[in-house]
Amino acid sequence: MRQEGWLKPYIKAHLGRFILIIFLGVLTAAAASMLMFTSGYLISKSALRPENILLVYVPIVGVRTFGISRAVLHYVERLAGHDAVLRIVSRMRVRLYNTLEPDALSLRSQYRTGDILGVLAEDIEQLQNVYLRTAFPGAIAVVMYAAVIAALGRFDGAFALMTAGLLLILLGVLPCVSLLMTARTQERMKQERSRLYQKLTDAVMGLGTWVISGRTRDFLASYEADEARITRADRTLKRWARIRALLGQLVVLGGVLLMMSWSAGKTADGSMSGTLIAAFVLVVFPLMDVFLPVSEAVEKLPRYRNSLDRLNEISSAGREEAAWTAGRAEATATGPGEAVVSAEGADTFGVADATEAVGGVGATEATEASDAAEAARPAHKPPRAAEAARQGYERPVAAVAAPPAHERPGAARGASALAGAGFVKPIAARPGLERPRAAREASALAGAGFVKPTAAHIRLDQVSFSYGGNAEAAVRGITLDIPQGRRIAVIGRSGAGKSTLLGLIQGAFTPDAGAVRINGVAAGELGDHIPEVISVLNQRPHLFDTSVANNIRLGRSEASNEEICQAAEQAQLAALIASLSAGYDTPMRETGQRFSGGERQRVALARILLQDTPVVILDEPAVGLDPRTERELMRTIMETTTGKSLIWVTHHLAGTEQMDEIIFMEDGRIEMRGTHEELMERYPRYRKLYQLDRPIPVQ
Amino acid sequence: MGRELLGLRGIRPVMAAMAGLTLIQTLSIILQAKWLAETVSALFAGEPLQEQYGTAVLFLCAFTVRQITVYFQQSIAAKFAELTGARMRSQLMNKLFELGPRYAGKEGTGNLVTLVLEGVTKFRTYIELLLPRMLAGGFTPVLILGFIYTLDTSSGIILTVTMPILIVFMILVGLAARKQTEGQLKTYKVLSNHFVDSLRGLETLKFLGRSRTHSQSIERVSGSYRTATMKTLRTAFLSSFALDFFTMLSVASVAVSLGLRLVNGNMVLLPALTVLILAPEYFLPVRMVGADFHATLDGKEAGEAMQAIINSHSSEELNEKGVLEPGYSWSDRSSLALSGLSVTHEEGAGPSLEGVDLRLTAGMKIGIIGESGAGKSTLIDVLGGFLRPSAGTVEVDGRMMPSLSETVWRNQTMYIPQQPYIFSSTLEDNVKFYSPGASLDEVKQAVEAAGLGPVVERLPGGYKEMIGGGGRRLSGGQEQRVALARAFLSDRPVILLDEPTAHLDIETEYELKAMMLELFEGKTVVLATHRLHWMPDMDVIVVMDHGRVEEVGTHEELLMKQGAYYGLVKEQEEGAA
Repeated sequence: MRQEGWLKPYIKAHLGRFILIIFLGVLTAAAASMLMFTSGYLISKSALRPENILLVYVPIVGVRTFGISRAVLHYVERLAGHDAVLRIVSRMRVRLYNTLEPDALSLRSQYRTGDILGVLAEDIEQLQNVYLRTAFPGAIAVVMYAAVIAALGRFDGAFALMTAGLLLILLGVLPCVSLLMTARTQERMKQERSRLYQKLTDAVMGLGTWVISGRTRDFLASYEADEARITRADRTLKRWARIRALLGQLVVLGGVLLMMSWSAGKTADGSMSGTLIAAFVLVVFPLMDVFLPVSEAVEKLPRYRNSLDRLNEISSAGREEAAWTAGRAEATATGPGEAVVSAEGADTFGVADATEAVGGVGATEATEASDAAEAARPAHKPPRAAEAARQGYERPVAAVAAPPAHERPGAARGASALAGAGFVKPIAARPGLERPRAAREASALAGAGFVKPTAAHIRLDQVSFSYGGNAEAAVRGITLDIPQGRRIAVIGRSGAGKSTLLGLIQGAFTPDAGAVRINGVAAGELGDHIPEVISVLNQRPHLFDTSVANNIRLGRSEASNEEICQAAEQAQLAALIASLSAGYDTPMRETGQRFSGGERQRVALARILLQDTPVVILDEPAVGLDPRTERELMRTIMETTTGKSLIWVTHHLAGTEQMDEIIFMEDGRIEMRGTHEELMERYPRYRKLYQLDRPIPVQ
Repeated sequence: MGRELLGLRGIRPVMAAMAGLTLIQTLSIILQAKWLAETVSALFAGEPLQEQYGTAVLFLCAFTVRQITVYFQQSIAAKFAELTGARMRSQLMNKLFELGPRYAGKEGTGNLVTLVLEGVTKFRTYIELLLPRMLAGGFTPVLILGFIYTLDTSSGIILTVTMPILIVFMILVGLAARKQTEGQLKTYKVLSNHFVDSLRGLETLKFLGRSRTHSQSIERVSGSYRTATMKTLRTAFLSSFALDFFTMLSVASVAVSLGLRLVNGNMVLLPALTVLILAPEYFLPVRMVGADFHATLDGKEAGEAMQAIINSHSSEELNEKGVLEPGYSWSDRSSLALSGLSVTHEEGAGPSLEGVDLRLTAGMKIGIIGESGAGKSTLIDVLGGFLRPSAGTVEVDGRMMPSLSETVWRNQTMYIPQQPYIFSSTLEDNVKFYSPGASLDEVKQAVEAAGLGPVVERLPGGYKEMIGGGGRRLSGGQEQRVALARAFLSDRPVILLDEPTAHLDIETEYELKAMMLELFEGKTVVLATHRLHWMPDMDVIVVMDHGRVEEVGTHEELLMKQGAYYGLVKEQEEGAA
C-alpha cells in the first residue's frame, strides 16, 4: 500500500527554504575560499610593487569583504537551517498526533511494552539531524563541487577533469567506502546497544531480586562482557574514522601539489599570470573544508533508519493487518482463568475507524468555536486581554510568555474549526475510511442537532464481540440494562472481558452480535459525542503539564472559574488547593508528580464532574492507593455522582454493597449477578470471596 | 576546563605523550607553512618547477608528519578514554548494586540506565576531545605567534591583539546567551514537553472529547516553541559568529597590511606568504574548542554526575566481610532478634522505624499490619538486607550483626514484593532465577505448585516463551505466581512478603492465598500487609504505627485487648457501611 514517507514530503513542502539554505551555505564556503584566494593574489600582486596602489585596491576591498561576509553568511545560514527544521518538526508532530488520535483508546493495549509514545516523539527530534547534519552539508558540497569544476573548466578542461576526479574521492569514494565498511558494524553496535539498554533496564528494575538472589556478581560479569563487545565495535569505528581523516588529508595534500604544479606549468608557458600561483594554492585549504566532512555526514545515515522505520510503521496501513493478526494470536492464547492480559483490549482499527467516521463533527466544532473566546481567557489574566480574545483577535499573550494551556483553542482557530477546515486527517490509506468525506459530512449535518442529554438509558442486548477472525469471543451474550441513575459494579479477573465491555459501551467496538444502545441509538454511531454522555475515571488518568485549573477545565472548556472552584470543592480538593501558594495556578508538573495518588484522582474527578455527563465509568480508580485513601476517595466519588449512572469496575468487594447490581464476569460471560444481599444468599462462592474483604466481623 | 582530568588514574604518561606529539605537530605546522611558502614564492619568481622538487618534498613530509601526529594523538586519547570510561562504569555498576533497589527507585530507573549507557559514552567523548586540545590550545598558538614575530612584527601584533578580543567577545556573548536561555528555561521545558505530554494523555483527551481539537493546540505550541527557540538561537549562534568574525577579520587585516607593506617595498614575498599561511593555523585550536564546546560540556556534566554516585555513601558494601560463616544456613532451631532497631532515611526527617524489638524463631509466621507509612515495608527491607539500620542490633543465632545485608543471609531469604519483577527472559529462566542450576523437571514441579501449569500450556512457546518487558506481559496474578514458583523451586527457609495480594482481583487473591499458605508450610514467614484476612493465619501479629510497634500478639489476644488491632478491624468495617 502506498504511504507517504517522513522525509521527502517535507523537502517538497519547504523547497524554497531549502534552496535558500543551500545557497547561503555555498556563499559561506565561497566567501571563505575567496578570502584566501584574494589574499594570495593581493600579496603576490603587491610583491610586484605596482606603481599605483590603486592597482591592488580591488583585491584589498575583496579581502575585507570576504573576511566579514563569511561570518555573517554562516550565521544567517545556520539560523535559516534551524528555522526550517523546526517548522518541519512542528508539522511532523501534528501529523504523528493525527495519525495516532483515531486509535487513542486502543494505543495503550497495543503498545504496552515500553513507552512507545515517548520514543516516537524522540524519533521526530532525531529526524531534525538528517537535515541539519547530512542533507544540508551534503547538498552544499555537491553544489560547490559543480561550481569549482565549472570554474576550473574555464581555465583548463583537462585540469578540471583531474580535479573533479580528486575531489570525487572526498565527495563520493570515501563516503561510499565509509558507509559500506561501517554500516554493518554500526548496525551491530546499535542492536547490541539497544539489547544492553533493555538488559540494564531489566536489571535496575529487578535490582531487589538480583540483590537477594546473591547473584549480582554473575550479572556484573555478564554485563561487562557485553560492554566489552560494544567497545570492540566502537574501537573499530573510531579507528576507521581516524584513518578516513588521514586519507582525507592526503587528498588535500594531493590537491595542493596538483594545484602547485599546474599553476607553475601554466605560468611557465605564459598562459597565466604568476600572481595567481599563491592564490590557487592557498584556496585549496578552505575549499577542502567543504568536502572533508561529507564522509562523516553520510556515515550517520544508518542511525536514522530505526526512527524512520518506526514512524513509517505507525503511519502505514499495514498496521491494521498487523493489529488484526496480533489480536488473533493473543486471543488464541487467551483462555479461562488468568488469561494473558494483552489479549484484552487488543484492538481492531477498522472498526474504530468506521465508527468514528459516523457522527457529527460539525456540531462539536461549532460549539468549540463559540466557546473559544471564553476558553481563551487564562484563569487570572486582566479582563481586557480576555475581551480581546473574545473579539476573535490573536491570543493576546505572547505565546512564549503565556503558560501554554492545553486545551485553549484560540478564537481565531475556533473560527476555522467552524468551517471544518482546520482538521487535516491523515487519510493515509486507511481502508476503514474509504467511505469518509461525503458520508461523514452528511452525518455531520445529521448529527448537528445533537444535544447533550441529561439522562441516558444504556441497554446491552445479547452482545458478543471478538477481536477479529476466529479468535475466541472476548464478550459473549451479555445483556445489561442501565437506566439513568443505576449503579453497577463489575468484577472479574484480568482477561475476563471487563475492558472489552467498557469499550463496547463507549462505542469503541461494534458488537459482532446483539446491540449496544444509548437512548435508542447504537453506541458506535454516537462517535465523537460519546464524551458528552459518558465520562471515564480510570486507574491512571493523565494530568497534563499545566496548571491545576487548566487540568480541571479540560472537562468543559467554557467553564467559568467559579464552576472550576465548585468542581474542585466537590472533589474535596479545596483545602489542598488553598494550601498551595499559587492556588489554582499551581502547575501540575509532568504527570502530576507534585500530588499524591489520591490527590491526582481527585483532580481527575473534578474534571469529570465538570464534564457533567449522565453516565460515569469508573475503571478501578482506587487501585494502588492505601486503604484509608481508597475508602475516602470512593466515598467522595459516590457522593458526588449521586443521580448519575455508574459503571464501576473494581477488584475488591468493599463498597459494592451499596450498588444496585454486582456483575461477576468470567470468560466474557456474566457468571453471577444480583445485589449484594442476593449474591450472599445465593452463591457460596460469593460468600467465600466476601469473607476475604470482611474477614473479621466485629460487634 | 579539564582540571579534573588531571586527577584521573594513569593520566601522566598520556599527558607526556600528548605534549611530545603536540610539540612535533606545532613544529611541522610551522615547517609546512615555511616550505610551502618557499615553493610558491620560488615558482612566482619564475624558477622552474623541477628545481623546487626538494622543497616540495619537504613540504609533503611536514604535512604528512602533522597528520600522523593527529592520528596518534587521537588514538592515544581514545584508548585512555576507553579505559577510564570502562573503569568508571564498573565502579558505577558496583555502586548501584550496593545502593540497592531503594536508591534506584528514588533516582528513577530511566535516569540511572541513561547515565550508565549514555553518560559513560559522553564522558569518553569528553576525554577524547579534550586531551589533545588541552595542550594544543596553549602550546600551538604561542609557538606559531613566536615564529610569526620573527618574520613580521606588525602581523604578530595584529594577531596578538585579536586573540584576547575574540575570547572576551566569545565569553560575553556566551554569558548573554546563557542568561537568556536560563530565563526561558521553564517556558522551554513546558513547550518542548507539551508534545510528549499530549501523546501520553491521548486516551484521557479522547475520554474528555478533546482529542480532535487538540491537534490545533499542538500546532500552535510547536509554533511558539519554534519562535522561542529561534530567539535563543539568534543569541547563542552569536558566540560562534564572534569567533568567525574576528578570525576572518584578523586574517584579512594581516593580508591587507602585508600587501601594503609589499607595495611600499618594506617587505618581500616569502615571509609575507608564510605569515598568511600561518594566520589561520594560529586560530585553529581556539576554533576547535568552540566547535566542541557543547560535547565537552555534556561529557563533563555526565562525568560529574557519575562521580557523585560513586562517591556517595552506600549503606552496604559488596565486599564486606560477613559475620556469618559462608556455609551458614537457617535451621529449624535458628532464631533472629531485633532490638532497639531504628531506621532514619534522610537527615532531618523523622525515623521510618523507631526502637523496634522483634523476635523471630524458625517456623514462625509473623503478620505485620498497619496503615501505609507505618513502617511495614521498611521493616521488611531491613530483614531482607536492603536497608542498614541506623541504630539498634540484629542478632542471628546469637551472633551480633551490624545489618542483614550479607550475601549468606540473603541466600536464606526469599522476597516477594507486591509486584515481583519479571525479567525479560523465558518463563523457565524466570522461575529458576534463584536457583539457576535447577532441571526442567524441577521447574515444572514448581510451576505446577504455583498454579501456573494451565498458563504454560496455553503459551505457544511453553516454558521457552519470552515473558517480561521484551516478551509477553503477564497479569498481576500471573506475575505473583511466577514469584511463588521461584519460591517453591529455591526452597529458601525464610520468606519475606510485602503486600503480596492487595492489588489483585478478589478471586485471584483468594486462589493465591491458598497457594501461599501451602508454600509457608515449615518456613519462617514475615508478611506485611493491610489486608486483614491474612491475620488469622499468622502465629504472631505485629501492629505498627508511625514506625513503632504498637502491639504484638495472636489474633485472638489482640481482638480481646480491643487496642490498635481492634481499631483497624473496626475501621475496615466502617468502610463497608
